[in-house]
Amino acid sequence: MTWPRPHLQLGLPPRPDALDKASGREKYACDFYPPGLLWAGVKRAGVPHARLRGLNLAAARALPGVTAVLAAADVPGVNRQGVVQKDQPVLVDDKVRYSGDALALVVASDQATLARALALIETDLEPLAPVLDPEEALLPGAPLVHPERPQGNLLLEGRVTTGQGAAALEGCAVVVEASFDLPRQEHAYLETENGWAQMGQDGRLTMVASTQTPFRDRLEVAEVLGLEPGRLRMVAPYCGGAFGGKDGVTVQSLLGLAALHAGGRPVKMWLSREESILASSKRHPARLRYRLGSDDQGRLQALEARIIYDTGPYDHLGGAVLTLGLEHAAGPYRIPHVDLHGQAVYTNNPIGGAFRGFGVPQVAAAMEQTMDLLATRLGLDPLELRRQNALKRGDVNPVGVTLAGSTGLAQCLEAVAGHRQWKEAPAWRAAAPAGQRRGVGLAAVLHGMGYGPVIPDVANAKVELTGEGVFRVYCGVVDMGQGNAGTFLQLAGLVLGQEAEGLELVLPDTDRTLPSGSSSASRTTYTFANALLPAAQALKERLLARAADALFATPAEMALVPGAVRHRPSGRTLPLAQLAKMLSPEERTATHRYRAPVVPERPSADPALQLHGLPHGVFSYAVHLARVEVDELTGLARVTGYLVAADCGQVLNPQVWEQQMQGGVAQGLGYALMEELPAPAGQPQHTDLATYLIPTALDLPPIECLAVPSWEESGPLGLKGCGEIGIDGPLPAVGNALAQALGRHLPQAPFTPERVLMALQEDGKGAGS
Amino acid sequence: MRPVLLPASLEELWPLMRDHPGAAFMAGGSDLLVRLRQGLVDPPAIIGLEGIAELGLVHDEAPGWLFLGAGASHTALLEHSLVQRRLPLLAQALAVLGSPLVRNQGTLGGNLGTASPAGDTLSPLYALEAQVELRSATGSRRLAIADFILGPGRTALQAGEIIYGAWVPLAQDWSLAHFEKVGLRQALAIAVVSLAALISLDDGGVVREARLALGSVGPTVVRPRQAEQALLGRPLDAASLKAAARLVRQEVSPIDDPRASAHYRRQVAGNLLLRLARPAD
Repeated sequence: MTWPRPHLQLGLPPRPDALDKASGREKYACDFYPPGLLWAGVKRAGVPHARLRGLNLAAARALPGVTAVLAAADVPGVNRQGVVQKDQPVLVDDKVRYSGDALALVVASDQATLARALALIETDLEPLAPVLDPEEALLPGAPLVHPERPQGNLLLEGRVTTGQGAAALEGCAVVVEASFDLPRQEHAYLETENGWAQMGQDGRLTMVASTQTPFRDRLEVAEVLGLEPGRLRMVAPYCGGAFGGKDGVTVQSLLGLAALHAGGRPVKMWLSREESILASSKRHPARLRYRLGSDDQGRLQALEARIIYDTGPYDHLGGAVLTLGLEHAAGPYRIPHVDLHGQAVYTNNPIGGAFRGFGVPQVAAAMEQTMDLLATRLGLDPLELRRQNALKRGDVNPVGVTLAGSTGLAQCLEAVAGHRQWKEAPAWRAAAPAGQRRGVGLAAVLHGMGYGPVIPDVANAKVELTGEGVFRVYCGVVDMGQGNAGTFLQLAGLVLGQEAEGLELVLPDTDRTLPSGSSSASRTTYTFANALLPAAQALKERLLARAADALFATPAEMALVPGAVRHRPSGRTLPLAQLAKMLSPEERTATHRYRAPVVPERPSADPALQLHGLPHGVFSYAVHLARVEVDELTGLARVTGYLVAADCGQVLNPQVWEQQMQGGVAQGLGYALMEELPAPAGQPQHTDLATYLIPTALDLPPIECLAVPSWEESGPLGLKGCGEIGIDGPLPAVGNALAQALGRHLPQAPFTPERVLMALQEDGKGAGS
Repeated sequence: MRPVLLPASLEELWPLMRDHPGAAFMAGGSDLLVRLRQGLVDPPAIIGLEGIAELGLVHDEAPGWLFLGAGASHTALLEHSLVQRRLPLLAQALAVLGSPLVRNQGTLGGNLGTASPAGDTLSPLYALEAQVELRSATGSRRLAIADFILGPGRTALQAGEIIYGAWVPLAQDWSLAHFEKVGLRQALAIAVVSLAALISLDDGGVVREARLALGSVGPTVVRPRQAEQALLGRPLDAASLKAAARLVRQEVSPIDDPRASAHYRRQVAGNLLLRLARPAD
């Protein structure tokens, strides 16, 4: 591999992956077409709840060009998958639990034959009453998604109380109350779910898939296929977007099953956009009810939060989403008394799953809009209210965890307070032209990193000096587009004194790289870099020592420079290629395992909540500001200015950091303004991106990103995660801006022109009335 | 396999049409390819029209008329000086049609032939009272656009005919030419409501003629004649526009769909008139 640009220094652009991606040279999983390729696809249920009485596969099997038609009985291992609870069938064996359920798998010679064969499959489905509303799902007598479960439709329930809990609201001078209804959001990654797989003559199955979790996938797929995990090799190229939607198996089990029946030929499976929208997981829709109380000075005293997440038919990390939501439900404030209660509920709707933010955008939407209601009630400036309640280092957070690490919220608030977009807000609002209304809204948010106290949050890094004298970085964690792989190269280059041409990257491959957890949870760079830096350091020390031995010098006299080790006093150099020849392969390699620290507090004695991640110890913080203009004739709300000031610890690569902020804000503005996937009767209302709208460049304002760096002691070079803090704030910031413009909060998101116009008209203030 | 035929002239086109009955015409393909992929159409052949140069003509050779060739892309029209100078109303609509990529690919003839009530060029052409020229091997005919478009996806085009172009009368200088599209985002969004308005004012600021055409609020573009009538002889102020807006809301017949409710469309169809208000001098 040759890098087209020589410059590769930590803290400076360009991203090492940029040119190959922009020029189309980089190969994503979907770009592979090995010779002799077969195509696999599935027949999906199309109904939300039904008993599977039978399948007639004969006509499909008889079609020329069809290699195999498979059903549940053909799954050799356990026909259930899932990350926490394995409750999702690979192929339906008893009943359909949502419209996207897979009934039968076809392997065929080409895509047209595949489509014809799928159409020839006859299904015999006995309709069952679906359960589509999460609150109704908890009522006695509701249809049960998993009748065998003793908890009925409740996937997980959690409660955290501190102080006197909700009872403390009685003693508050001011109490505000509000309800919020948040939509189902589609990930809409550019690269839909796909992969290809082949059973080798050696009996090993190789699979290349678009995934965030190759090591976990290997275990899951092995269990489904009844194979030893060692017989599976999973390879994870760069993803064309994932955002949580590939945190877990998508096509992998089906693809593995297809490969077992492909006679050794490679098999490809690639969901169309329509199939992706039908079958993939989404951001959980949520309903929240908040009661927040303070004293008459605006010091927060008590919060009661009631949260319901619609988790759909399967546990696609829904319990973990609920738990992270609970932990973040009270926002980044000191609140001595809280009563936080949440439920993740099974329904026959599309799967609620992991999605950037992971339960936090929903609770941040509720908490931050409730904060503005309180500010209005108290007659306080919303920034001032946040300032006086903001968590600082050393505080106990609302769920009872001492913040011993970096806590930069107050600094973010100061950065916004001093910024032109905030200081000029009153003048800007007053200058609204006739027929328009303007508002400026804030949201303060936090986001925890990693898996919490029970599930080991581990990375294993490996760095090798190759026989050719190049350093090869074995990256065990996926780069789904966020740029972490490039950061890893830059970090290795920093420690090892090398520029781009002296460094190579190996992307995740279960045969070559070491297990390193998922690319998720704002933990990717934090955890892996904490393994990589010591590995690179160990290799460096060994190389300096061995070079010193060779030159009859001492290690302290040696320096790693691009392509060589130099004896500093004499200027003599030993090329790395020559040094490599003096070393055994073991000596040329260093590895390091890192496990993220956990905090000792246990906000809940419930082991399920601990397993699902409560609590975290390291948080990033941000303050978001949105300027919104509302057109009185159409109700169209446009965000015309945006600012986010974020504490993500030290910023190693400003370009990658800004891209993460901008991407998170953009996706969050889509969530605020237009993204919504209703599922009347359990069917996604939108089938493609012509009607499921995500923002275009013209819908987004300039997004100003201010880094407010702190030093995170536990982080690699002081870094904290920055992948999710950008998406937690846009919806409440826009909601608060709109409330300022309209004089009232809108309970239901997204804030579409129709909802905004109706609010204007109910006021009797709409210009058209 | 489905044949794809690429005639280079009308002379080459006519025999191909005779030999391939039921063939679909393709200019830019921005509608047809989507419908093919969705399986909504399955024509026995496709006849590509992009090789027929005369379909792309734009000229003002006939006095009082501007001719817009059916094969002209939206971008070509948008950038054409005649369109910019003489048809600012159409230019405003073209500027917000689809995206730059769709505008490069899609054509005026395609927008006419697809006959969607949301077609962005259609409400301006209704307001301009354009005529559509149809050609066949044996002749040509011109229809008022309102007679050419019969309903959603339905036109008066007959077997053996193609859409040759649109003739736009240049008789009047309008005091005000205004187009507004309400979509759910700023690009690549189908209109939820659109308004094309041409207003002629006398020296005293009183409305002499008003033409209004609304998209996406009925099976075809709607000309709200009562609202137009109500504006005559009145100043273009909020009071008269509000009165006309009430009439507009009665004259449109929108439906609910996943993009917007009928109620919203009706409301906004009227509201958009208020954008025409001019401060009294």
